[in-house]
Amino acid sequence: MRPYRAMARLAWRNALAYRVPFLMSLSMLVFNLAAMFALWQALLSDGNSLAGFTWPQMKAYLLVSFVTNCLVSTFTDFAMASRIRSGAVAVDLVKPVDYQKGRFAEALGFALLETTAALVVCTVVLVAFGGVPWPSPGQLALFAASLLAVVPLKFLIVYMCGLLCFWTQNYLGISLARTAISGILSGATVPLVFFPPWLRHVAEVLPFQAITNTPAMLFLGRSPGLSAVSALAVQILWVVGLWWLARRLWHVAVRRLTVHGG
Amino acid sequence: MHTLRVYRRNLGAHLRATLEYQADFWILVVAAVLTQGAGLVLIATIFARVPRIHGWGVWEVVLIFAMMVLAQGTSELLAEGTWGLAGLINRGELDRMLLRPYPCLLQVCASRVGMNAFGNVTVGGGLLVTALLHLDVAWTPARIGLALVLLPSALVIKVSLTVVANSTSFWLRGAINTFAAGMDQLGELTKYPLSIYGVGLQAVLATALPFAFIGFFPVSVFLDHGRLAWIGLLTPAVAVYCVLLAVTVFRRGLRRYESAGN
Repeated sequence: MRPYRAMARLAWRNALAYRVPFLMSLSMLVFNLAAMFALWQALLSDGNSLAGFTWPQMKAYLLVSFVTNCLVSTFTDFAMASRIRSGAVAVDLVKPVDYQKGRFAEALGFALLETTAALVVCTVVLVAFGGVPWPSPGQLALFAASLLAVVPLKFLIVYMCGLLCFWTQNYLGISLARTAISGILSGATVPLVFFPPWLRHVAEVLPFQAITNTPAMLFLGRSPGLSAVSALAVQILWVVGLWWLARRLWHVAVRRLTVHGG
Repeated sequence: MHTLRVYRRNLGAHLRATLEYQADFWILVVAAVLTQGAGLVLIATIFARVPRIHGWGVWEVVLIFAMMVLAQGTSELLAEGTWGLAGLINRGELDRMLLRPYPCLLQVCASRVGMNAFGNVTVGGGLLVTALLHLDVAWTPARIGLALVLLPSALVIKVSLTVVANSTSFWLRGAINTFAAGMDQLGELTKYPLSIYGVGLQAVLATALPFAFIGFFPVSVFLDHGRLAWIGLLTPAVAVYCVLLAVTVFRRGLRRYESAGN
């Protein structure tokens, strides 16, 4: 456990040292949030509701989606990709720590900073734009649990995309494609209830919806009682399943590694 | 004339080099299509439920969106190199360019070709044509003339603003200019009708950072949409202003450049 704790701490310090890139990438998410706020406010502010969303509910949805967008967003993937491309990953291989757990520890270190920043932004938005409907304490606990599960889930998706660098040099394209696909299918772009039925069914059987849709629905109390617990269970099952899948992928990927001298 | 030919040949060389990596090329084309697709999903799902946003119908919004995507593709084709400016300054590699008898700014612009460019130009162009076909525009000679002035002006504005954003690297001095990325993201706000934003933000996007002249204002005047449509007639003037601004900021920055010392 100790080496992983040290890696997490190092990642956190690293992020603090490179504050400016971190804050800038956060500002990009904030601008996106501003655009979505303006757009939905224009549609909903005069008391309308769309697909069962009123303006206060949509505000809550957008904020949850913002937080899940912030988590595991900036550092993990590009850092890993560049180490694989440059061959520096060879150094990681000789270290007596598990590669996947090591990267996860780093992601956790970053996530701490990302959560803090996201909460600050949310507080400012709540003060500026007025309140959102708060869930009951029980719902809130479920929401918090599902937000915690988002960190490993999103990490695993990002991690597996990063491993694709063993096959291609072009991580930018993979990262952009992942962001776009995950943006649509997680519900971060539009709540899934807005989709036509076929697209919603596709989204529901994939892991992406557990990134934004699950926590947001729990926060809004849209999945009552037992279905809330089962949504959380599905999320955790995805984490376990993808953790195993990522391990398999790593074993295949690492055999392709060629490092030239050094 | 000679200057333009060198610029074209310079870009051409990078283009050929880029096309050598075919898998990378297709990954980025797919990534561009998916990224813009996510934006379209948002527009489509919203307009499936409401007929208009602040008086703007679906194809009118798609037309604004198409202009933005086309402009993005153009800037990736003609000025992608500016995204590497921060690195060139940081490593002192601008020295080499300063020694050549050719404008430094153009060398920087042509030092890279954005591979997303192909995807974005295709998607943007396709959407532009589709939206115009759906909008039932009366193609009088005056309107054709207007379009022929507005389109290039809008593209020039985007390219110039990209140069301005990245020229800040001369002052910021990091290896990567995240400020430019943030500014670019702020520009993304103008993909939607400007009136959904607060007055302050509207003023910024129309004057200080005139991103609204890439899509919103040209489309407004072209479709004669709303009271303030006439502002769109200023697009060519804004284009001239943006070019002058880009050249001035770049020159000022270049004066601060002091190499890396080795």
